[in-house]
Amino acid sequence: MSTMEIITQIVTAFLGSLGFSVLFNLRRTKLLIAALGGMLSWGLFLLLGLWFTSEPLRYFFAAAFVTVYAEIFARIKKTPTTSYLVPGFIPMIPGGALYSTMKFALNTDWQLFGNAAIYTLQIALCITAGIVVVSSGMRMIVAAYRYLRNRFDTQKKF
Amino acid sequence: MKTEELLSMSLDIGERMLISGAEISRVEDSVQRILMTYDVKRADVFTITSSIIATVTDAQGQTLTQTRRIHKYTTNLDKLHSLNALSRKICADKPALQYILSEIQRIDSAERYPFWIECVAFALIAGSFTLFFGGNLLDAVAAALLGALLKAVVYCIDRTQVNMVFANVVSSFILCALTFLCVAFGFGQHADKIIIGNIMLLIPGIAMTNSIRDIISGDIMAGILRFCEAVVIAIGIAAGYILAALLFGGLIE
Repeated sequence: MSTMEIITQIVTAFLGSLGFSVLFNLRRTKLLIAALGGMLSWGLFLLLGLWFTSEPLRYFFAAAFVTVYAEIFARIKKTPTTSYLVPGFIPMIPGGALYSTMKFALNTDWQLFGNAAIYTLQIALCITAGIVVVSSGMRMIVAAYRYLRNRFDTQKKF
Repeated sequence: MKTEELLSMSLDIGERMLISGAEISRVEDSVQRILMTYDVKRADVFTITSSIIATVTDAQGQTLTQTRRIHKYTTNLDKLHSLNALSRKICADKPALQYILSEIQRIDSAERYPFWIECVAFALIAGSFTLFFGGNLLDAVAAALLGALLKAVVYCIDRTQVNMVFANVVSSFILCALTFLCVAFGFGQHADKIIIGNIMLLIPGIAMTNSIRDIISGDIMAGILRFCEAVVIAIGIAAGYILAALLFGGLIE
């Protein structure tokens, strides 16, 4: 992949996420945070290409990253995590894979159609896995933190 | 506050959250918490994508149930943010019913972006993703124009209240047919890239991802419903594309 392509993809990932953030009615700074999340997640996806050859694995890590990003900013701005999560994984949505699935169906090439459909689903699963692993982990950390804090407080009282 | 009013108010909030794009677990959790803030013995809430059911047993031992049916969602994250803030405030301050109702009304009347900005957003998304997937500048311009047009098409179809599947078949058909025509007349080179850019606007990628999230987090019913919905929409889009390609695809061979 040439440098030009990389720059184009990163810039358009930002613009695409920005557009979707507008459609989802995000306002002011939230709009920028959300769009930046999309850009960073795609940047990371491209960067991971240097280490991993497996695309699904890259989707997994990029989705995990964007979830961490969303959780952090959701806590800072006191909004539901969804506000930054959904625009953040927009560039990862497998539009291209879905298109090739459709194209194989058009050409009635069912062998390739099956492969493409499964690949599309695989990407969706990897993105979700990344999101779920981080958000569940985060929930456990918060629960552990609350538990420890409560224990500490009661000990002080007595 | 009467128990009926409490139940109805908390479902009002839950319903709006679900429509605006909240996860199932958030809706259940918020409604449950709001109910438990006031003087009730027990509250059970069950939510799937198309309905919310809540039952409360109040301090006198009287049991009440109300349900809400949700037909259509429009993702509105700003509204979700306000609703979330309101439900936190309710749990913290236990305000009077009148105040909550007026707050809900205020949240309802908050405006969305005007139509033309949404058109620009459609154009921006379509143009961006055409470049993203490797189209050239001319393709991007064509995709952007078609994207703005797609917004108008989606808006008109929305007005007719036709079912979701058919709406997607029609939007996708019109989009793909126009793309083939544009490319045939030399406005844009790669029909593939233009279509991919615009399809990003239609595909239920978010619904798909959310559905798998729901399933993994234990809301299996809701997840399966949403997943089926996403698959059906994707098939609708594919049908529109295939129809257009069969009718007009010959123009660009």
